[in-house]
Amino acid sequence: MKFFTLLKLLTLRNVKNEKFMTFLSVVGIALGIGLFIGVKVASDRAITSFESEIRGMNPGVNYEIFDISGIDFDEKIYGDVLRIEEESFPVIRVKGSLKNMQDSSVEINGIDLVKSIRYLNIPLDNAYGIEKISRDMNGVIVTEYFSDRYAMKRGDTFHVSLYDREYPLRIVGIIDSKLLAPDTVIMDIGNFQEYFNKIGYLTRIDLATDEKKADKIRQVLPYHLSLEEKHSLIRNQKAVIASFRYNLQFVSLIAILVGMFLLYNTIFITVIKRRTEIGILRSLGSDKKTIVMLFTIHGIILGFIGSLAGIILGQIFAYFSVIAVQKTVSAMYSAVSISDYFITPSDILRSLLLGIFVSFIASVIPSFEASKIRPHETSREGSFEGRYRKYLDLFTMLGIFFVLGGVCVSYFEYRNVPFSFPYLSYGGILMIIFGFTCVAPFHLILMLRTMKKPAQYVFGAIGKITLGDMNGSVYRFSIALMSVAITSALIIALLTLIFSFRGSLKKWIDNTITADVYIKPLSCTSNYCFQALSHEVIRTIGQFPEVAGVDKYRILQVELFGKKIITGFGDTALSRRLVKTRYFNMSNEDRLKELETGKSVAISEYLGMKYGLKRGDTIELKTPKGKQSFVVTDIFSSYSTTSGFMYLDRRWLKEYWGLDDATQFSIYMKKGYDVETFIRKLQETFSDKYSLDIMNNQQLRQKILRIFDRSFSITYAIELIAIFVSFIGVVNTLLVLVFEKKREISTLRYLGMSWKQIQDNLILSAGITGIAGIILGLIMGYMMSMIFIHVINKISFGWEIEIKVPLLYLSLVTVGLFFTNLLSSLIPSKIARKIDPKRFISFE
Amino acid sequence: MIKLIGVEKYYGQMRVLAGINLEAQKGDFISIMGSSGSGKSTLLNLIGGMDRPERGKIIVDGEDISSYTDDQLTVYRRKRIGFIFQFFNLLPNITLFENIQLPLLLNGIEDANKVKEYIHYVGLEGKENAYPYQLSGGQQQRVAIARALMNDPDILLADEPTGSLDSQTGGIIMDLITTLAEKRRKTVILVTHDQSIAQYAHKIFRIKDGVIIS
Repeated sequence: MKFFTLLKLLTLRNVKNEKFMTFLSVVGIALGIGLFIGVKVASDRAITSFESEIRGMNPGVNYEIFDISGIDFDEKIYGDVLRIEEESFPVIRVKGSLKNMQDSSVEINGIDLVKSIRYLNIPLDNAYGIEKISRDMNGVIVTEYFSDRYAMKRGDTFHVSLYDREYPLRIVGIIDSKLLAPDTVIMDIGNFQEYFNKIGYLTRIDLATDEKKADKIRQVLPYHLSLEEKHSLIRNQKAVIASFRYNLQFVSLIAILVGMFLLYNTIFITVIKRRTEIGILRSLGSDKKTIVMLFTIHGIILGFIGSLAGIILGQIFAYFSVIAVQKTVSAMYSAVSISDYFITPSDILRSLLLGIFVSFIASVIPSFEASKIRPHETSREGSFEGRYRKYLDLFTMLGIFFVLGGVCVSYFEYRNVPFSFPYLSYGGILMIIFGFTCVAPFHLILMLRTMKKPAQYVFGAIGKITLGDMNGSVYRFSIALMSVAITSALIIALLTLIFSFRGSLKKWIDNTITADVYIKPLSCTSNYCFQALSHEVIRTIGQFPEVAGVDKYRILQVELFGKKIITGFGDTALSRRLVKTRYFNMSNEDRLKELETGKSVAISEYLGMKYGLKRGDTIELKTPKGKQSFVVTDIFSSYSTTSGFMYLDRRWLKEYWGLDDATQFSIYMKKGYDVETFIRKLQETFSDKYSLDIMNNQQLRQKILRIFDRSFSITYAIELIAIFVSFIGVVNTLLVLVFEKKREISTLRYLGMSWKQIQDNLILSAGITGIAGIILGLIMGYMMSMIFIHVINKISFGWEIEIKVPLLYLSLVTVGLFFTNLLSSLIPSKIARKIDPKRFISFE
Repeated sequence: MIKLIGVEKYYGQMRVLAGINLEAQKGDFISIMGSSGSGKSTLLNLIGGMDRPERGKIIVDGEDISSYTDDQLTVYRRKRIGFIFQFFNLLPNITLFENIQLPLLLNGIEDANKVKEYIHYVGLEGKENAYPYQLSGGQQQRVAIARALMNDPDILLADEPTGSLDSQTGGIIMDLITTLAEKRRKTVILVTHDQSIAQYAHKIFRIKDGVIIS
């Protein structure tokens, strides 16, 4: 109880009195936590959406039969399965988009409605329009979310692009179910098959069974069908987007780090400001433990308030993050619809714990320092900072050790790739940041020494006073400096990554996007389409006189080492004939020839790295006709997926998969024909019956770059927030300087220093902090960008990126950061102006 | 040289100075005595250009400083006034040398020799690179005196200069102030509540409730 009274008197009152300082610290933590939650919610919801998709509509099902190539299969097998397990549910499914809304996603599920109603024991009078479904071939049941989002009700008709056509569907029922993905639309399976001309096909069979029966079922399945547990499929899907998710989370964690520095700064400076108070407490008999607890609790209170504010901010960020993540995931993986962006109680708890943990770390060190203050130090200003000087060498050595350690650890991972996730490199980056934090005071002292003469020459008395002030307050300025440094480093690293990536992507586009016209189904919003185009489309295109050649491209999933890899089947002979530049950036024309003539495969760098494959190695691919061996003839860069890509010649598609269709076309035109005129001709020919996305070369290139830019939109937001938090950090430091130096400022006024000169003093302090921070940030940022590009990206996504330093942008950002720092002195200057010197110069 | 005519000063509703009339010639050493709250520091602040009176005039060498703007007062303080405070008010993060040098720098002058000369006058040779926290109270006050004299001000204003020192050290400080002021013909106005310190002055004025009573 006594401690609580002490807490109320000394800590809570201080939090209340120092409103502006409290506000700044809270904002810093809030922004970091808010960003972290926003990103987490968005990626969690994406995963939930995938899970719903896999689980389907029947909550009790735990197994799934599917084609290993990811395509629809013959439904004849259903009878055999049913004989073993009665609780098996056939499903045929297709993804598409609403007409004129390419960013919308819709998933049509054809299910055995009668069986589902029986299994789920749904009362017939509540059976969501089941009677009408049996009458209307295109009758569908939609979710409440769908109906609300698109403002549709029972009886309304909407048009969707599915496969390569447009279909009208009529809403006969609306279902409210949290089990279903928001974009789910339900049809009777018979109607589905007939209406979409998929008679005799299924996409999967869901089962509610046990392992014993599952083994029996496996005996009757043909080679191309697989039976797996739902939770294993969910786990695999999570693993696919794990890298994307954790990379984003790590970057947002750095924003929290900046907030942590801000809080450390606040507590540290609070300790310095209140050293008289601490000294008095100690002289009155307070033990060190009490002092530690008072200041640590102070920090935790600020962190707690900041986390609460962060949760509110996080909810706002989540809304925007969800939009960004949805678009990126849909493009890179498969179309996903995220309807829910609300923070859950567990998100709230996690954020509070994270905020409290971060604030505990930030405040425990200065609290221990507070406990070491001796009473006599209260009358001798400067001795507090003086004590830190003793440890300068130790901190510097420790810092160098950690920086080198971080570099070594990352290099080790670069060379050896011990894990499938870049744990060591992430740890390496944190070590580097910690190392630079320890080195920061030494760096600042060095900078001050270097700047001493120039500053005095240029700024005269102000220069001398400012450098003297900063020399006497190295440790507190180091903390503000680190806020600036981390922000600079983050921006430099991310900008370098983005520009390098963009450069490599452009190069890849130049080598890969070589045709004149590209056609795919309008329903396909991802990078890769799995639904085949109609044979009529293929035949018709070939008959146009403008056409020199059509590369019919087919995408399938092919199993390699137990993982499903996106695989493209193209016409290699046509590519060799029509494309002057090499298709896969290969240096040798023989390799293309090998792909065309030999039993060869080209794989992406990700697969080469993950499985230790090189040219000449043989790999086994699972095909409907059993495992087949192919020789790796090329390893290429691919930025369209994050889990590897393979390329095979089309003839293998026919031989081993029994398919001769295409999911997208690349059309090469004869010389002398206008591309736009040809495209218009295609649109006129197909628009009545088909729903196709027809693009020229430039349009496809721009689309790819747009998807790329969009996927980095969250990182830009993170950078902006980090800049703001570091700005607050410098304001914080200067403000406390003003508060602490009221007497000195008053003395200077008595000596004849003008308010403008005092403002110049603060601006110069901010400027020097900024320069010192930016220099450190440049070094740190360079290291971080190397690790991001050469190690983290490579291991996470398999992307080989050529470094391209955006000097102009970096210069602009650096200058911008510097001026932001200068601006940060404005608020403290205004506060300093309000000091009445007479009040602080003496006691009556 | 300094003339106060009917000077009144209020802080809010409270009248601190109630019609002060005071005159000091060049080279005078005046002491103003009074108890706490009598208005003596306020008087010093007005003469030093840190504040303006509500009524009355303050004439310094024929110029009415009570009508000066803030910038003019700043320049006035910089060039013509030297302050010595009870709690020394040295800047803790710069050295003794730099503290003394400050007024010169604020005037745009760099004269290391002059600084050394004054360090010698106040008897602190060898401590040029010391920081204030490394000095005793007496030493700090000597630094403050040297600083106050750096710009050759006409007027020295001392607010309880020995208030934080023991009597022996206080005596040393007063001797120093007296000697340097006489040598350089400075007008000194010293505020104190200590009779023994006030005795160093040529004239003693007593102030009570904002009025000079003797």
